[in-house]
Amino acid sequence: MKRLWIACAVLLGLAFLPVPQVTSQTDTAFTAVAQKVNRKIVKVFGAGGFRGLVSYGTGVFINKEGYFLTINSHILDTRDLRIHTYDGTRYHCEVVCREPELDMALCKIKWGARPGEIEDYFDIESALKREPLKAGTNILAFNNMFQLALRDDPVTVQRGVIAAYAPLYGRIGVFNAAYRGHVYVLDAITNNPGSAGGAVTTRKGELIGLIGKELRNELTNTWLNFAIPIHASTEAPDKDGKKIKVSVADMVRLKEEYRPVPPREIAKNTAYHGIVLVPNVVERTPPYVEEVIPGSPADKATPRLRADDLIVYVEGLPVPDINTFNNIMATYPAGSEIKLEVQRGDKLTSITLKLAAPPKSDEKK
Amino acid sequence: MKSDRSVLGVTLLIIGLAVTLPPARALDVDKRLLEIEQKRTELITQLKPAVVSVMGRDPRTKNVIGLGSGVLIDEEGYALTNFHVVSAFGYVTPVMQCGLPDGKLYDCVLVGLDPIGDIALIKLLPGTPGQKFPVAKIGDSDQVKQGEWTLLMGNPFALATDFQPTVTYGILSATNRYINIGKMEYTNCLQVDTSSNPGNSGGPLFNNKGELIGILSAGNVNRRRGNCGAGFAVSINQVKNFLPGLRAGLLMDHATLGASMESETDEGALSRVLVKNVIESDAKRRGLEVGDQLVAFAGRPVFTVNAYKNLLGQFPRGWRVPIVFRRESTRVEALVRLMGATKRVLEEPKGPGGPGGPGGPPRPAPPPPTGPAAKYYVAKKDFANYYFNEQAQKRLLAKLAEHSDFSKLTGDWNLKLGGKLLTGVAPRAITGAISLREKGAADGKSPKVLADIDGLDFPLEPLSTSERSTAFTDPPESGGFVLAMFHWRQFLVYGPKGFDKEAFVHAGVEPFFPPLEDKPNYMKSMILAETIHTKFAGVEGRFYFAPQDNEDWGWKKGMLIGMEVFPLKDEDSCEIVFTDYKEIGGKMLPGRLHVRKAMKKYADFTLTTANLK
Repeated sequence: MKRLWIACAVLLGLAFLPVPQVTSQTDTAFTAVAQKVNRKIVKVFGAGGFRGLVSYGTGVFINKEGYFLTINSHILDTRDLRIHTYDGTRYHCEVVCREPELDMALCKIKWGARPGEIEDYFDIESALKREPLKAGTNILAFNNMFQLALRDDPVTVQRGVIAAYAPLYGRIGVFNAAYRGHVYVLDAITNNPGSAGGAVTTRKGELIGLIGKELRNELTNTWLNFAIPIHASTEAPDKDGKKIKVSVADMVRLKEEYRPVPPREIAKNTAYHGIVLVPNVVERTPPYVEEVIPGSPADKATPRLRADDLIVYVEGLPVPDINTFNNIMATYPAGSEIKLEVQRGDKLTSITLKLAAPPKSDEKK
Repeated sequence: MKSDRSVLGVTLLIIGLAVTLPPARALDVDKRLLEIEQKRTELITQLKPAVVSVMGRDPRTKNVIGLGSGVLIDEEGYALTNFHVVSAFGYVTPVMQCGLPDGKLYDCVLVGLDPIGDIALIKLLPGTPGQKFPVAKIGDSDQVKQGEWTLLMGNPFALATDFQPTVTYGILSATNRYINIGKMEYTNCLQVDTSSNPGNSGGPLFNNKGELIGILSAGNVNRRRGNCGAGFAVSINQVKNFLPGLRAGLLMDHATLGASMESETDEGALSRVLVKNVIESDAKRRGLEVGDQLVAFAGRPVFTVNAYKNLLGQFPRGWRVPIVFRRESTRVEALVRLMGATKRVLEEPKGPGGPGGPGGPPRPAPPPPTGPAAKYYVAKKDFANYYFNEQAQKRLLAKLAEHSDFSKLTGDWNLKLGGKLLTGVAPRAITGAISLREKGAADGKSPKVLADIDGLDFPLEPLSTSERSTAFTDPPESGGFVLAMFHWRQFLVYGPKGFDKEAFVHAGVEPFFPPLEDKPNYMKSMILAETIHTKFAGVEGRFYFAPQDNEDWGWKKGMLIGMEVFPLKDEDSCEIVFTDYKEIGGKMLPGRLHVRKAMKKYADFTLTTANLK
């Protein structure tokens, strides 16, 4: 009973304490966090600048020796890799290791004769241990989109919410995404040119992921905003075909010792269907059948595919153009049975097709 | 009755459930969140009435369509929007219509333009005589910080047919951004992640206190994606510098220093910003040379070329700001007059491939302005709307005449001067006399000035073609005091009629510096004063007016506090600061005249007697 009284007293006491202004609390919070995090972000400059490829990106410092994580991209394909830190200092850098399966790369400052020290960096170990955050969690994103920041200019800060924590690997339109594991899908428009490698943090500024590359769904022409979690790991076949675990933790712990997994064999166009489509002349050429190669799976399909058929669906997925058709077909290995819906005259017809191994080149002739 | 009872039953049942069952989790919202949300919605309700939907008549379809957004900043109906909003049809639209959240459509006229800064000032005409408009409170954009919450309002995609603005909410992604888009230059602008879409242009960006901090001007629209997570707003502090000029109907220009800058090196830590080039300019006359380090500009330190460009972009052409530069161990602080960035001719924007664009069909001729707003529009070269310039001149001159009306004193003026000469080794007391004659003896027509300064005679016939060139800059080291006195009388007696035709212009405000100490703090002593630019026989003059009463200097609001004449092109002007106004010879006249050239003092005269006829 006495204890209850004390509890009541404490509660009343709290009620009489001056309540800090709620708005000011929430309104200034991001300013302090933004300033703190900005010191840990680097603006990365490297290869690119032609054919629509940007030559700039973003990265995050992870230790005082000047190691920083970024997204594995063409920007790193240069001997002249540079960064600008928050105070405007420009450093020359080099790639330490890159892991295509995670779409990440670890780089470091080339200090020269006298190594310096980086004062502000993310606590990578606690980031590696962090449990996946749930959808609905508030986040901040820091990046150098559109190269808006140079030298000592602060990087862009955006706020948003984790919309989903889900595997990135889908069947359509994501063929350029090397990483196939779980990502944080974000409601903020974070993935812009130059954003890749930027930090996604909690609202307190704790690192949770790196902003991924720009990713467009070719089917719906929508763009995905996502970040690869720092705790990410995935499985990939090694050179003997045995599955091994690949993780950001290994990259940042092993550093120079880290060996990436061998590149996967490109599975594209291994299966053979024998459909010759009309020439793919415009950006969105509808997949009309021009010719069916005699004896090919398309010829043997039930019912047979014919010239002038318009392929509308593959396994229930709409195929508005030839590129989409080719991309979807490339995901099926030889031996798989797929269902096509084709428009023949004014009727839709279902056709089942069994893909085969590609014929040898002399047979083709 | 029966139905009532059943409703009651249902209500009771619901309450009963609520008591017996634990409350659903989703409803268990933190009180503070609800409070914040309520405050926000209240704030939005307060801000909404001042948000404008700008509309114009499409010359092709003849329909009134949404062009963008705007915000009211003055009870009289003045509203800010973007230059690219009022020029959406490929030419500047002199009259438009604007919708307000009260649901009404107002006629509206163009007032002023800042094409480089992408700002336009428009004026809504009251729907009923004497109607006052709701206004937004203007904030201080230098105080906002990255990470702060912002509210953006406007009419994106012209969604609101009832003119209720769309509100989006986000944070300041960065401040002090420098962005160059074609002919427009967004300096020191604010970047937000707040959703901004086509049609938001010209709309207000508010901070969490509901203060106007920027005019949303650009989104980073690429690859047809619409909102890209980055919107850019022209900072309101930049707009403040241009606003008086916009109100005066000007077509405004930004500034250059007359020198370009570069980083000393791109390697390592931030290096010094060095002068790369200097052209004939005020900066050069103040001694700025190639290789000098630019240390500060307009009171702010300069660490990068971008930072310098951001600072420079804040100022209209012709403004005087201090710069600090260093050569080896010498540090120099100087006041420089900024030059124009472009020719002050409106180049109409051309849409890529659109009408008037390269390869496109010829641009349609803009239709003449019609409707009730047309009578407030006067087209004139180099002006956005000359009507407002004329109004501004009249207002300024009427206020001046309230203090003393000189318009009847068209006879000869004789002034006696005392005071100190400040050139030479030490200041010394002098006496002088000036006679400003309406008609000189030489031809009996042209005016003639005769000054006796410290026993030396300085005659001048400002209109004589055979006049010695030095007569215009006499006495030596004054920059042209005798000529300035002639311009002064001309201004007071004749106003616009006393100067070259069409060369009498209200120029908004310009920095004005009262008499200064030897090591002045220029930014602190700067007074933004309304200015009139004149020309007499090709010689430029400037006249400055007191923005408010000032007892220290003996000024009343609206008095003439200073003037300049520029006898020779590309040379320093003669400046006079008028202080200690009192009744002399039956008129309010300055008791003291501080004369200087390039901020170097020439003399500090006292006006002892004045005989004005």
